Amino acid sequence: MTAPKPLAGIRVVERATSVAAAQAGRLMCLMGAEVIMAEPPGGSPLRQEPPLLPGGDSALFTFLATGKRSVTCDLDQPDDRAAFDTLLASADLLIDDTALADRAGAGLDQARISQTHPHIVHLSVLPFGAYGPKADWLGEELTLVHAGGEGFLLPNGLSADLFPDRPPLKIAGHFAQMQGGVAAAFAGLSALWAGGGQYVDASVQDANVAVGAFAIQRFGDGSVEHRLTRSFRFGGVIECSDGYVELLTLEERQWQGLVKLLEADDWAADPELADAVGRSARGDEINRRIRDWALHRKVADLVAAAQELGVPMARYNDAAQVLSGAQETARGIFRDVAASGGTVKVQSLPFRFDPDALPVDCPAPAPGADQSLLEEPQRRASA
Amino acid sequence: MTPLAGLRVADFTVHAAGPFCTHMLSQLGAEVIKVETALRPDIFRKSHAVYGRKGPATFDQVSSNKLSVRLNLKHPEGVALAKRLVAVSDVAAESFRAGVMERLGLSYDDLRAARPDIVMVSVSSSGQTGPESHFAGYAPLFGAWGGLGHLSGHADGPPVEMRHVMDHSVGMNAALATMAALLQRRRTGRGCHVDVAAREVASSLVGDALVAASAGITVERMGNGDLRRAPHGLYPTRDPDRWLAIAVANDAQWCALAKLMEQADLASDPRYATETARHANSATLDPLIANWSRQSTGEQLVASLQSAGIPAHLSWAASDIVSDPHLRARGAILDVTETGGATRAAVGRVARFSGDDTPGITRGTPTLGGAEAYVYGELLGLSDADISALVADRAIY
Repeated sequence: MTAPKPLAGIRVVERATSVAAAQAGRLMCLMGAEVIMAEPPGGSPLRQEPPLLPGGDSALFTFLATGKRSVTCDLDQPDDRAAFDTLLASADLLIDDTALADRAGAGLDQARISQTHPHIVHLSVLPFGAYGPKADWLGEELTLVHAGGEGFLLPNGLSADLFPDRPPLKIAGHFAQMQGGVAAAFAGLSALWAGGGQYVDASVQDANVAVGAFAIQRFGDGSVEHRLTRSFRFGGVIECSDGYVELLTLEERQWQGLVKLLEADDWAADPELADAVGRSARGDEINRRIRDWALHRKVADLVAAAQELGVPMARYNDAAQVLSGAQETARGIFRDVAASGGTVKVQSLPFRFDPDALPVDCPAPAPGADQSLLEEPQRRASA
Repeated sequence: MTPLAGLRVADFTVHAAGPFCTHMLSQLGAEVIKVETALRPDIFRKSHAVYGRKGPATFDQVSSNKLSVRLNLKHPEGVALAKRLVAVSDVAAESFRAGVMERLGLSYDDLRAARPDIVMVSVSSSGQTGPESHFAGYAPLFGAWGGLGHLSGHADGPPVEMRHVMDHSVGMNAALATMAALLQRRRTGRGCHVDVAAREVASSLVGDALVAASAGITVERMGNGDLRRAPHGLYPTRDPDRWLAIAVANDAQWCALAKLMEQADLASDPRYATETARHANSATLDPLIANWSRQSTGEQLVASLQSAGIPAHLSWAASDIVSDPHLRARGAILDVTETGGATRAAVGRVARFSGDDTPGITRGTPTLGGAEAYVYGELLGLSDADISALVADRAIY
C-alpha cells in the first residue's frame, strides 16, 4: 500500500486561468491534497495552450492538471454559485486568479469569502498581487519576467558576447509564472500552518523580485547589474564539437583542476594567476583559451574528464537527454501518464519526502469529470 | 502573529539555494539559527572575486533575520552540540554535497536519534541518491543538466546560463516542501527527510516542454517568441537600453493596440487580423510596433498600454525595482538597517497575509557567532564556563 502523502486530507478548490495559479494547485495536488478545479463552462483556457499533443490535449495543461479533479460551474448562475459555495464549505483552501475587477460579480471578493467561509485560506494569485497601485495590471509571462528584473539581465555570457545589440531575453517556458506558483503555494501552506482562515495575497512579480534578490543586494552595494557586464570572468557556456557545456570554478581546488584539465602548465607557474582576483583580471584571456581548446573536443569526453578532476562542468542537455538521463532515470522522476494520443512522461515534484519520488499516476481530467462533487461534496477517502 | 511563529530551524546551509530556503521561512516568522564556523566561512560571507569584486555577494539578503552561532563540525564536541541544537529545533536544513552530513555524523538517522520527529531538509545539486548524486554543481550547472538552459536563448544562438534566480528557485521549492513536511508531522507525528534536487527544479520549470518532447514534438530555443501570442517581444523606446515588453494574448488586445498606435486599419489587415496570421507574419509586424514604440518614453508607453488593457511592462533593472511605489506598498521591497546604521534596500515577503503584516525583515546581517549567548546559554542551557571551555577547545570556533 502506498504511504499517505504529506498533504493527505487537505482539500483545495482551484479557479485558475494562469499558469501561476494552476502551478500552485499542481504542487499541492502532487503532495497529496485533493485539488478540485472549478472551471468555467467549456473548461479552463489553459486547456488550449500550445504545444498540443498528437491527440489534441495541451502539453502545458497536462503537466499542470495531472491528478486534479474537475467540476464546471458558471458563477453567474445562482444554482451554480450555491453549489460552488457548498463545495467551498468542504474545502481548506481556495486558489483564485480571477481579475480583481471581476471578483465581486462572481462572489469571489475577499470580503464575501471571509464572511461566508471564515475557515478557509483564500489564496489570491495575480500578476501584480491584489493590493497596491498596480493590482489591476495585466501580466503575461514575457512582461512578468521583465517586471521581476531577471529579464533585463539576460542573456549573459556567450549569448551576450555573440549578440550584444539584441534586446534582453526571456527564460524558456513559463519561468516567471512557475515562480509565482511556488511562492503562492508556500504562502498558502504557511497560512494553513498558522491555522484558521485568512486571505493570502500572492503576486507573480513579488515572487520574481524575490528570486532575483541578488540584483537588489548588489544595487544596495552600489552597482546596477547589466547583462553585458555580469558574465563570469571566465567559464560559462562553452561550445564543444558536438554541443555545449557549462563550466564554473568558484573554489581554488576547482581552478587547479581546470589547469590540469587544460594541461596549462604556464598558468600554474604564473604568479599573477595565483589568486582569484588576478585570474578575474585576465578572464578574457583565460576564456579565449578555454573556448579554443573545447571547440575540438566532444561534450561527453570533456564532462567525464572534468568531473574526474573535481571541475564543475555539465552538458547542456536537450529535452530528450533530460528525459533519458541516467540520474533522472535512477531517481524515477518521470512517470507515464495517459493523455489523448498516447502515453506521455510527466515529471514528479523536484523534491521528495522519502526515498521514492512522489507518484504521478492520474491523467488530467476532462472538464466536469467530477461534477458529482458539486452535488455531494464529500471528501475523498484517502489521498 | 507571524504565520510561522514558534518554529525553529537549525540551519546548516551554505552558498545560495539552501540559505534562501531558510530565509523564506525566517521572513514568515521562523527562528532560524545559522550554524557557521570561522574555519571555513560560507563562501558568500567571504569575498567573491569571480564577480571581479572583493566584497561579499548575496550574504546580507539571505542571512537577514537569522541568528548566527559558530560551531566546528569537525570537532566531536561540535557535532554533539549540533545534535543538541537539532533536539530543540523543528527543522534541520543543510545543503552540503550528498554524503557530507553522514560523514560528519549528522545523517538523518543521527538527527532522528536527537529528535525523533525532526524534519531534515537536504538541498543538493542532483539529489541524495543516484549515480550522479556526488556531482558538484552551481546554478548554471543545474540549468544545464535540467534542460532549462538548453531551451533558453535565441533560436540562432547558444544556450543561456541560469544565475542566482536558479539557486533561489531551488530554495523556494525547498521552503514549500518544508511546510508540507511540517503539516504532515502535525497530522501524523512523523518527521521525514526532504530531498530537494536542484537539477530537478530546473527541469520542472520546463515540465510542459518535456511532456511535449516525450510525445515526439520538437521543442527548441525560441528567443522571446511564444507559440501562440503575437505581437510578443521586446521593443525599443525613445531612451537607449530601455526596452518595452508587449505580449498580446488575444484579438481584442490586438485591436486595442492598433487603435493606440493610431493605425486601426492594421486590426483588419488580413496579415494581422487573426492570431495565427499575426504569428505567421511577425517578421513584418514587429518592425511596425518598434517604429511606433521608439517615439515615446517607456513609462508613457506602459501607462497607455495597461490603460488600454494590453499586457506590457518595461524591462526593469534593479534601480527601477527598489524605487517602485507598488512593490514598496506591498512590502516586497523594504529597507533594512544594519547594525552599523547603514540602510539598504532588500527583498521582503513573497505574499501578504491578512492575519499578519509584519515586515519580512526586521534585523540585518548577523555577526559571526553573534547569538551564542542566547542559543548556547538560554536555549541549550550551557553555563558561561561550559561555553568558554568549548571555545578554548575550538569546538565553538
